[in-house]
Amino acid sequence: MIRKTAAVVAGKATGALSRFTGRGGGTTLPGDVARAIDPRILTRLTKDLTYGSIVVTGTNGKTTTARLLSWLLEGAGHRVVANRAGANLIFGVTAAALNRAGSDGKLKADWGVFEIDEASLAKAVEEIQPRATLVLNLFRDQLDRYGELESIARKIEKALASQPETARAILDADDPRVAEIGLNLTIKPLWYGLEDTSVATKTLPHAADARTCPKCGTSLIFDAVYVGHDGVYHCPNGHFERPRPEIAATNIKLDGFDALALTIEGTRIEMPLGGLYNCYNVLAAYAAARSIDLAPSYIADRLRTFKAAFGRQERVEFRGRHLILVLSKNPAGFNETVRTAVELAGGENFVIGLNDRKADGTDVSWIWDVDFEMLQGRAKVVIPAGGRAHDLAVRLKYAGVGAENPQTDPGKTLDLLIKSTSEGDTAYLLCTYTAMLDLRAELVRRGWASPYWET
Amino acid sequence: MGVAILGNVTQKLTVGWLYPDLMNIYGDRGNILTLVKRAEWRGLEASVVELGRGASDRMNDVDVFFFGGGQDREQALIYDDLREFKQESLQRAVANGAQVLAVCGGYQLLGHYYQTADGERYDGIGLIDVRTEAGKKRFIGDVVVQTDIGLTPRTLVGFENHSGRTFLGSGAKALGRIIQGKGNNGSDKTEGCVQGGIIGTYLHGSLLPKNPHLADHLIAAALKRRGDGALSSLDDSAELAAHGWILQRAQRR
Repeated sequence: MIRKTAAVVAGKATGALSRFTGRGGGTTLPGDVARAIDPRILTRLTKDLTYGSIVVTGTNGKTTTARLLSWLLEGAGHRVVANRAGANLIFGVTAAALNRAGSDGKLKADWGVFEIDEASLAKAVEEIQPRATLVLNLFRDQLDRYGELESIARKIEKALASQPETARAILDADDPRVAEIGLNLTIKPLWYGLEDTSVATKTLPHAADARTCPKCGTSLIFDAVYVGHDGVYHCPNGHFERPRPEIAATNIKLDGFDALALTIEGTRIEMPLGGLYNCYNVLAAYAAARSIDLAPSYIADRLRTFKAAFGRQERVEFRGRHLILVLSKNPAGFNETVRTAVELAGGENFVIGLNDRKADGTDVSWIWDVDFEMLQGRAKVVIPAGGRAHDLAVRLKYAGVGAENPQTDPGKTLDLLIKSTSEGDTAYLLCTYTAMLDLRAELVRRGWASPYWET
Repeated sequence: MGVAILGNVTQKLTVGWLYPDLMNIYGDRGNILTLVKRAEWRGLEASVVELGRGASDRMNDVDVFFFGGGQDREQALIYDDLREFKQESLQRAVANGAQVLAVCGGYQLLGHYYQTADGERYDGIGLIDVRTEAGKKRFIGDVVVQTDIGLTPRTLVGFENHSGRTFLGSGAKALGRIIQGKGNNGSDKTEGCVQGGIIGTYLHGSLLPKNPHLADHLIAAALKRRGDGALSSLDDSAELAAHGWILQRAQRR
């Protein structure tokens, strides 16, 4: 107990110091310090939670889904501890728990809602012992860091198999690789999926993964494709098919980045988030909320007033321009944000930001899997930006998209954006993680946005 | 856009993409797009033939083959197919002057074999005189290579991510010498191989978009067998800026 308290005090001091010195939001370092003093600190802290934790993992949508879930729980009067700033390794989760612990070393919250990096899930499940684990999807992402999709999938399966019997796995039935994981589990998962072919396409995007049958290796037949390789599929030899979703979304209506509407279990949900990919996030959060008995009518009511997280459809007014910042970090995600911006929102002005730091992935070859061709003939201004702006410029050239000169400096990027657009214009900033941080920091420096740990 | 006329016939370039749905892990579409666009920009009629699993009678039409890398799971799915449906016609096409660019997994499979850490051997199709053994540490990062195959500029830049260690036999020549990165095996400073019309390499990124001179080399060599292989020059400032960015970064290290 003394050790736990010491770890909490030291961790909290580190967090305060980190924020005070302006070195960032103190979102992971305190966890590092506390874990050095007490390696079991996260287990000890999460045991203090009144009800327990829900863990969210998958390639895309973790932050938004976790935030949706926190929003739902908080609205129902629960005290929620969450790792909000996208600090989703075990240190970030520990730091979040520390931040909410009192000087007596006790975590004062009812629920924990944690987004967990796919590769860290096993450790998180072991330490947190969540009541439910959500797996959103598995797309190709940062191969230099994560390795192949297959090894990540196997790690997730192992983590889910190690959950206690009372814990629930809540899985996206539309993702063939996630479905494969769920079908191997001894305890039946709670499946969710989309049931509205009016928003589907028939063909897989180029960068689709997981498109062969796990048993016979034959290419899967897709009757509907929603996002990436998520859709309605079956093996032509009858070995494998999409599990029937218990929680399904129907009658989907999309309004650019502004709003979406869908019906789940007969309840109409309308909310201020955009894009088909966010229908999945809303559906996942709904499924998790239902698994802990929140009422459908309450969920619908509460979601109406939801606000997006840092860099996820965040809106910033900048010298008369409406900037919409959308994190886009891998082919599946990028395809959806470009599609939403161009096809649903009629977007004309773009900053595409690509960095190759560790958090972005040091290998940028994936930009060739993104269908930037969608911008052709529709976008008026496209600014390739970030440390690898030159690679983006080449990608856009071969996509037949006329682009501005590549800008590696965030300040010059914004200057060019102002120069090439007019007051009242809307511009979409689609960026990888640190490219977004860089542009955002520049906006903060110029007084147009607040620091990310305050959002 | 001008049209290249040879007699009264527009010149064609056919790109054959081996297993586009399964062997496509490192943005390999960039290589295909680069070949196609650069041919089109010169007025050639370019097309892509997708060579998935099963028999195809289009193998004979192909001027430039591309064979990319895949995950282990996908690679296992094409292993038998390659031998059964592709090996012979690929061999014939190369003998007739078709060009091949093979990256990473594709490069390994064109060699004699891949030997796992446990000593188990998976036979390749032996079109190039190279063999590959599993290594412990993955080689991941930027690569800069100095070539000796008549390219201008002489450098190639890309990104590698592989655990295989590839060694060249006497029939294969190295594509170039490593300036930055690990290359074939991390020990002999070689990267890739050239043997007849086949180029094997560990470089992706994608490779050809940032190395337009290598793309043109492949196109020109493939067209040469039908007469004129001379290509008009294009404005490559964007491509070479991306190329130069990696060179500059390598120098700073």
